[in-house]
Amino acid sequence: MLRLRKTGTVDMGRSSGKGKGADGGRPREGGESLAGGHGDWARAWEVSRRKAVAVIDCRQEIPCNPCETACSKGAIRVGEDICALPVSDPEACDGCGRCVAVCPGMAVFLLDRRAGGGMAAVTVPYEMGEEPRAGEEARAVDGEGKELGKGKILKVTAAGGTAATKLVTLEVPEEWALKVRGVRLREIFIEEAEEVEGYRGAGDCIVCRCEEIVRSEVEETAGHGFRSLAALRRASRVGLGYCQGRFCLEPLRRELAEKSGRTVEELGFGSPRPPLRPVRLSRLGGGDVRDT
Amino acid sequence: MSEILSSEVVIIGGGVIGAATAYFLCKEGAEVMVVEAEDLASGASGACDGFVSLQTKMPGSHLKLALESAQLFPSLAEDLEVDIEYNPCGGIMLATSQEQMKELRARAKALKSAGLEVEMLSAAELKEYLPEVGKTVKGGSFCPGDAQVNPISLTLGLAQKAQEMGATILRGCRVENIVVTNNRVREVHTTAGNIHSRRVVCAAGIGSNQIGKMIIVDVPVLPQRGQILVTEQRDPVLKTIVSGAEYLGTKANIPELLPEDEEAARLGLGFTAEQAASGNILLGSTREFVGFDNSTTPEAMNAIARNAMRFLPWVEDLDVIRSFAGLRPCSPDGLPILGTVKGVRGFYLATGHAGDGICLAPITGKLLSELVLDGETSLDIEPFSLYRFK
Repeated sequence: MLRLRKTGTVDMGRSSGKGKGADGGRPREGGESLAGGHGDWARAWEVSRRKAVAVIDCRQEIPCNPCETACSKGAIRVGEDICALPVSDPEACDGCGRCVAVCPGMAVFLLDRRAGGGMAAVTVPYEMGEEPRAGEEARAVDGEGKELGKGKILKVTAAGGTAATKLVTLEVPEEWALKVRGVRLREIFIEEAEEVEGYRGAGDCIVCRCEEIVRSEVEETAGHGFRSLAALRRASRVGLGYCQGRFCLEPLRRELAEKSGRTVEELGFGSPRPPLRPVRLSRLGGGDVRDT
Repeated sequence: MSEILSSEVVIIGGGVIGAATAYFLCKEGAEVMVVEAEDLASGASGACDGFVSLQTKMPGSHLKLALESAQLFPSLAEDLEVDIEYNPCGGIMLATSQEQMKELRARAKALKSAGLEVEMLSAAELKEYLPEVGKTVKGGSFCPGDAQVNPISLTLGLAQKAQEMGATILRGCRVENIVVTNNRVREVHTTAGNIHSRRVVCAAGIGSNQIGKMIIVDVPVLPQRGQILVTEQRDPVLKTIVSGAEYLGTKANIPELLPEDEEAARLGLGFTAEQAASGNILLGSTREFVGFDNSTTPEAMNAIARNAMRFLPWVEDLDVIRSFAGLRPCSPDGLPILGTVKGVRGFYLATGHAGDGICLAPITGKLLSELVLDGETSLDIEPFSLYRFK
């Protein structure tokens, strides 16, 4: 539940990309550099000064080619090997945006630097419930879902033909232009997972449910040099709850043995004490323990 | 072992007495080594309730010791890095007959004149402190100075703090012999090697007799078994520690307060109840001399349960999840054995606390540190000398 935020994917408008795409938003190393794209990003960058062009950021070599079929100008080529990465020709592109709308991996965006003045227009897909409106402010996010900053929505269209997908054109400073992969209309509710209170870090888990003791606490106590399981129980309270360690002690004993280099026999088991299961005190006081 | 071990002071025993002695010695800057055959708190200190009870002490030197000890708890609670769950909650002792009430009243008077605040409560007045008591309860005495503490945390906390101050703690290290030459302790032979030391403190609890034999001294300490039931966790219901008058009877061997029932007398049954910080209620307890057998028995568990319902009927709805038994180091008169040994310089005894180990640990540690380092103590420990038995 704490991993709700596959933010890149969610923010960019699709819950999962079945096809080639931005790999859930993982940024390409050097993604901001002009020569980083599969297509010729440097050329696209130049051409975008004259017209809107599609920029492809696809890196999944899987059978997928909607971008190619969607392009009426033949500006995008996947070729015979349907698993190949698409290649675009910025000169042939007319900036219609269909490829942006159909890409299941949200790996295509439009770049338009005609306005100049250090600003650029970036068009990305948007499929969430809220209705983006031209003139409003929206947050531009990068491939990791991190917010780059706020930008103004210039245009919202359904150019792709798939009714659920809107194309949102956002005005952003030029230096972000190649980083923007999505827009977000609202504040996010969950901050970075590490900061969520009560979350004790990956890899930790409860080893004693009755006493709510997590593994790291036991390991910390064990680090103080206790020799036997009984001593570890006393010091950490692990296995001292309602179940009396029926569920947790044996696996813990084996793990301790492994870590301490001692045998399970050496670690012992403490002295198992009656009652083996919780018993009502009135029954115990009734004089007949066999009845319990 | 290639390494030659040595220490200014060697403490035999990693229970609450050994840990407290190490703590106070380290506070004075002594170099300390604690030798523990098993694990810290693996003996009586890890198998007892957390009573810091003053009203159960005998007026005189015993009570004086307890009063001094009780005063040290708040500062310990502050100083130790482990939460020892110290709770100055006060304690109630319940009487189930007019004879017992009379006896408690007389005791309260004696305790008061010895400087301990004790107040008698009628059955109606008890309501303020206790939820519903049994019909047989006639009243009780309330001592605001009584308290409770987590005995395991106390032991571990003292040991940990001592360690931080420089003490070495050897666990799983059994003492095999103590070398005495020219009437002075010279060396402690252990399974971890020989430790050169001119000062040795025996805080070995029920193992003290065996340690004493190594220097040819009879330390009359016998294991006395105490059994306790542990219930499931509950929201706080017990505001104070609670005991029954028979508990005092069996503890101090007061004929007027001994249990009348034959089996109860055989088991040394005396009612105790406390709610630990975890919410579990500890119900006790027994006093039996059965050698080194620390198992719990069905008879005792039944007897404790029956007895508990007599005093606090509402406990019948609680689930018992565990029982445990501890072997208390008991001297012939039930009082601690503190001090030096004639003819063996550098050997000190701190043992035989019976059921008072937790309560008396702080003052024992303090007095022993004084004795070891200065040769004299701030409180007269002559009444606790080994030679009172001869």
